[in-house]
Formats: sequence, C-alpha cells, structure tokens
Amino acid sequence: MSIREILAAIAFLAAVIFGVAGLAGLFRFPDPYSRLQAGSLLGTTSVLSIFIGTLLLSPNGAVAARVVVIMLFFLISSPTGSHIVARFTWNIGTHPWRPKSEEKKNQGKTGKGKDEAAPEENP
Amino acid sequence: MREFLLTGMQWFIIACILVCIIRILTSRTTSGKLVGLNVLSGVVLAFLVLRGVSEGRALYLDVALVYDIFGFLGFLGIARFLKDKIQGESQE
Repeated sequence: MSIREILAAIAFLAAVIFGVAGLAGLFRFPDPYSRLQAGSLLGTTSVLSIFIGTLLLSPNGAVAARVVVIMLFFLISSPTGSHIVARFTWNIGTHPWRPKSEEKKNQGKTGKGKDEAAPEENP
Repeated sequence: MREFLLTGMQWFIIACILVCIIRILTSRTTSGKLVGLNVLSGVVLAFLVLRGVSEGRALYLDVALVYDIFGFLGFLGIARFLKDKIQGESQE
C-alpha cells in the first residue's frame, strides 16, 4: 500500500461524501435553482475528486495526460452547462421558491398576491 | 488495493447513475429534467474515466473526451430548441 493509493483513497472518500450530499439535495430541494446548485456541487467537487484519484492511480503517462486534458475541459464545460440550464429556467418564467409565510406577508401588504414576488422580465 | 478502490468507485458511480435516471423520470417540469440531465452527463463522464484507468487503456479516455464535448453541444441544442418552442407557444 503506497502513498499514492492512500491519497487516492482520501480523494475517493471525499467524492463519495460530496456525491451523496449532492444527490440528496437533488431530491430534497424545492425549486430548480437550488436543485441546480446541488447538482453543480456533485458535478464539480465529486467528479473532480474522482479525476484526481484516477490521476494518482493511472498506470502510465499516456493515461495520465488524457485525464489531465479531460479535467481541464470538464472545468470549462460543467459550469457553462449549469449556466445554460439556469438561464433557460429563468427565461421560461419559473418563480424562485420562497417560504409560505413570506408569501402571505406580501399578499397582506400589497393585495396583489403571487405576481408581486415574480421576477422581472428579462430584456 | 488499487483494484479494490477502482472497482468500488465504479459501483458507487453506477448507483449515482441509477439515482439520476430516477430523478429524470420522476420530475414533472422541463427544468427539473434538464437539471437531472446535467448531473447525469458529469457522472457518466466520471464512470468512463474510471473504467479506462482500471483497464489501463487510453482508448476509453479518448471516448470519454469526445463524449464530454458532444454532450455539452447537445445540451446547448436542447435548451435552445425548447426555449424557442415554449416561447412560440406562449405567443400564439
């Protein structure tokens, strides 16, 4: 059991912890924006930890170089994908979630109800 | 030890893929499905890299890189098409 295997085991343990947390958030959060945040946590931290672990365990230089290239491209493409989904969700007019007590308070104040809490139209 | 780590992580990733597919199938809105798809693409990429390193073949990693690029482009296309379609329906 060498030092590289111990470091890889630590990276994989972090990947498991963050992966379970991200999947739980994907099921438990109420609206698409917060779910997207949990998904980005899983996508970035967990998958990147797995890449670091495989980089430590890679058998030869060809495999390690390809893992580095995949890691760099993933660091660019994953936040861009999350951004695309968030903009799509905003553009089709989904309301951000807010607690029911706050909604009632807004209703009492303005008398207009839910539309008061709606996001402004994107230009 | 090395084989144990790589095999165990592969089983964990397979479980993640199944959970993501359940999430995609059970969410009702389009945004929920797209969020699940976003997570699924990253998780499948991690599975391909783990598989390639455990087999020791560089070919699998080439496949993983091409999968990442084209998955990203397809994702862009889906969001673009659905946005135009939904906005067109609401204007009519």
